[in-house]
Amino acid sequence: MARDLAIDLGTANTLVYMKGKGIVLNEPSVIALNRQTGEVLATGREAWQMIGRTPGYIVAVRPLRGGAITDFEITERMIRLLLQRVGVSRFTRPKVVICVPSAITEVERRAVTDAARRAGAADAQLIEQPMAAAIGADLPIDEPVGNMVIDIGGGTSETAVISLGGIVALEAVRVGSFDIDAAIQSYVRREHGIAVGERTAEEVKVAIGSAEPMEHENQAEVRGRDLMTGLPKTVILTPEEIRFAIDDVVSSIIASVVRCLAKAPPELAQDFLVRGMFLVGGGGLLHGLAQRIERETQVPVKMSNVPLEAVVLGAGHCIEHYDALKSMFMGARR
Amino acid sequence: MPFVIAIVVIAIVAAVVIMARGHRRPRQDEGMQSFRRHIDALSPEARREVIDRARKHDEDRN
Repeated sequence: MARDLAIDLGTANTLVYMKGKGIVLNEPSVIALNRQTGEVLATGREAWQMIGRTPGYIVAVRPLRGGAITDFEITERMIRLLLQRVGVSRFTRPKVVICVPSAITEVERRAVTDAARRAGAADAQLIEQPMAAAIGADLPIDEPVGNMVIDIGGGTSETAVISLGGIVALEAVRVGSFDIDAAIQSYVRREHGIAVGERTAEEVKVAIGSAEPMEHENQAEVRGRDLMTGLPKTVILTPEEIRFAIDDVVSSIIASVVRCLAKAPPELAQDFLVRGMFLVGGGGLLHGLAQRIERETQVPVKMSNVPLEAVVLGAGHCIEHYDALKSMFMGARR
Repeated sequence: MPFVIAIVVIAIVAAVVIMARGHRRPRQDEGMQSFRRHIDALSPEARREVIDRARKHDEDRN
């Protein structure tokens, strides 16, 4: 008998929760393929290490962009391999709950459920990421009070107001921490004339990236390829430069939070001033982001204790209480 | 012959039961009970098990 699963199929990472066991897999959403034969060479962490460092016949790709499947066939193969790794076979077909961005289209929804069913799931249900995040972050969403959750992922940022087990207001933008990395890459190319890879840009973001000036800031030495000479070159980047480079992306995320606050009914809006908003997702770990949101919205912002796992834990809770919570699944409300 | 009659009778009874269940009027408090189950399943007590499991996972990782 297969144990049912909850999957957070993120643009950056994929997490799997197994009913009765907890989180059993946490890997980057990357797959490496042989370009000539189409064979899968690696998935997860091993494939992530290959990004930007492969010979011509290997391609290491992220099959999801902006929370949406960009390559259906590759995503299906990745899900199939993930399910195999957690013990799903053709004889053990589990029920699966998959977390998806709330803004996905009908076609994208069908693509995700079809990919899971063809990969071995007996039944595939979808749940919105901010709803799952609120459950996983242990917010009191069973009470008639306003709970606000901001989920900043790799490709999407979603803000939701939740009360009495349901979404009251929602705002989503297809902008996330990968757009911050891309902004750093394009800034370094434009201002310093060197090309850097996406992994280097991510390292710069983690090392010195911030949304607000911080105490004890350091500079970062970055190596890339000089666009004029083609030779390797090193430049020094400052935190101010990175703040300037990523400001457009950060501002668009904060603008969506403000739009969500404006949509909230006044009775719930007053709760946020007391209870604050909760930040989850890997993008929320950007230094100074909570402070910047707090400054611009005048509402306290708290970081979840489990920012990276909140979404899959919420979906895992839905798998544990499948019958009582099945009305929360996306298909059930249509 | 009696075997065929028995099968026909069973089929008719099954059809009647299925039709009766299909036309069953929902009890007045069914919506309330379903909503209560939904809210109870989201209570902090119900979520404790998953949260504890996550904490254990975190401790194991560290």
